[in-house]
Amino acid sequence: MKIIRFHRWLGRSITVLLLFVLLSASVQAAALGERFERTLGGSAVPEILKQYGGEYILPIGQRMWVGEVFRRLAEVTERGDVEYTLTVLNSSELNAFALPGGYVFITRGLVSAIGRDEAKLAGVLGHEIAHIEKKHGVNAVLRQMGLAVLLEVGVMALDLASADLLRVASATLLQLISLGWGREAEYEADLVGQALAVNAGFDGVGAVTLLDDLFAMNSEDLPMKIFRTHPDTKNRRERLEKALASFWSSPVVVEDEDVVERLNVGRNSKQTRRNDPNGRYSVLVPEEGAGLHVFDLQTGQSRTWLQDVNVFDFAWSTQGEYIAVLVDEGSQGQLWIGDRWGGEKKSLSISGQTIIDMCWSPKGDQLAILVDGSEGRQVMVTYLHANILLPVGGEFTGTGSLWLDTGLYFVYEDKWYHTSAPKVLPVIVQNPVPQVLQRQRVLSPTVIKEGNTIRLTRPALTLP
Amino acid sequence: MRVQKFKLGRIIILLVVFLASVVGVSEAFVFTNPLGLYSTTIWDQWVYQAHHSTSELIVFYGEGDFDLLYFESLGTVSDDSVDSWAERSIRLYGEPGGLKSFQLETPLSKVDVAGQRGLGAAYTYEDERGTRLWECRIFVLLPEHQGFSIALSSDEPWVVDDPRLLDDILGYWRWLF
Repeated sequence: MKIIRFHRWLGRSITVLLLFVLLSASVQAAALGERFERTLGGSAVPEILKQYGGEYILPIGQRMWVGEVFRRLAEVTERGDVEYTLTVLNSSELNAFALPGGYVFITRGLVSAIGRDEAKLAGVLGHEIAHIEKKHGVNAVLRQMGLAVLLEVGVMALDLASADLLRVASATLLQLISLGWGREAEYEADLVGQALAVNAGFDGVGAVTLLDDLFAMNSEDLPMKIFRTHPDTKNRRERLEKALASFWSSPVVVEDEDVVERLNVGRNSKQTRRNDPNGRYSVLVPEEGAGLHVFDLQTGQSRTWLQDVNVFDFAWSTQGEYIAVLVDEGSQGQLWIGDRWGGEKKSLSISGQTIIDMCWSPKGDQLAILVDGSEGRQVMVTYLHANILLPVGGEFTGTGSLWLDTGLYFVYEDKWYHTSAPKVLPVIVQNPVPQVLQRQRVLSPTVIKEGNTIRLTRPALTLP
Repeated sequence: MRVQKFKLGRIIILLVVFLASVVGVSEAFVFTNPLGLYSTTIWDQWVYQAHHSTSELIVFYGEGDFDLLYFESLGTVSDDSVDSWAERSIRLYGEPGGLKSFQLETPLSKVDVAGQRGLGAAYTYEDERGTRLWECRIFVLLPEHQGFSIALSSDEPWVVDDPRLLDDILGYWRWLF
């Protein structure tokens, strides 16, 4: 009896001991892994700086702005063991990349191309951080060196940092940077990076519009390494656009009676809003005939926009900069967006479907549209400055919509439903210094009188 | 006797007119920040630039091609004091990525801005076209560590040598919070 008890006790003790050894080994392995990653990435930094003309110091304001975008992204990463650093490289090339251990690089050329669009900057930096989060660099190096087996046993059971292997690994890393970490790694970094950007309070659309910009700029005479190192742009764009809708909240029915009442009132008042928010134009849809009658309250003149098209609804953006018009073209409802001078900004038609309703987002940069097709109705969102169409209504379909500060509301079977986009927060520099301004040169326009019209050569503006 | 008095009167009037034109007595207007943070008096020659101004940045152009006056509300500053904020800002202006050919002409010294302790300095730097610009800068830390700055610049050293405009602006300055 005692022997059996002793055997049981021994068995349990050995199990506990084994578990303890395994646990401490894995903790140690993880610590070694982090050290290895940092050492490996750090070993390639001098060569990268040499290849790209060294570090570039951005002007104070821009440096603080870029730093703040990067800080917000690093703050929402999952790997607490990585210390993320950003270096701007003195190269006009449009490129960005990451090294294991938290080293992120972006060229001054790409920073300049991005301008002050924080969503795009968050898109590209989020992508690079995602490579480090997912250990794409270190895994690719080990795979290339034929040490893939280490990946399966926890990669870093060895302290490679002290071995000659580090030199070989570093050389392999430098080789791989120009080739990329592999197609699947790029796809994963796109989506993980976009999610990071959204979690950090940036608009996830930045990753899509940045690809659009780079795609538009891509010509043979541009040194676009970013395309050599990254897979098919169209495919990546499609995946990123599709993922955008997943950040919206699932629609829920609005229970609060007061809110429902206010939504009904808002929906009715929407029908009668006819003046532009700046009070200059009064716009009417004629009862007979086509077009949109625009009466200029300042000059007393009237004109017709979209003369040959049957218009059935329109709405001014919140600031009055743009007007969205639903037109009936070939028995199919389309969306036309023009600026306040009547010039076309964008038109949208969806094959086999009719756009029957629309409303602007409170910021005036997006539109919710109601699409009717053979598969029923759908609530979708489109961007003013990007060719993006997101189905945001979930399994619900709508019959009318209102977009308020609190989110997008739509009616389905006599009930209001609510959905909302993730919050986008402005970039506020943490510890600012006063900006140093200089006077802007004033370019006096040349005034040319042509009949009853005055034309200014600069800026290109025609006054009636 | 009456003729002499008349002549004397005319001479006095002419003298006053002459002195006024020499000294440069200016017409001025009261400017109140749209957010209701401050108000001051600004000489008429300085024109408010609506399209360069925002709720945080108020810009005026003077008569000279480079004459510029601007007030900036910067939001929360995490420096402990106005001294460390001003010193850090001046240091950054002089570092790479700061102002080209930056040179501190007058070191930071205490300035009173309507009861709020500030620090002022003057410096020169070169713009993109190589024009040497002079700038007077005042740093103020308002309650709750809100940074505020007043700057006056030109391509001539009068911004430093002739303090009348800045004295007038500071003399009439009122915080409205």
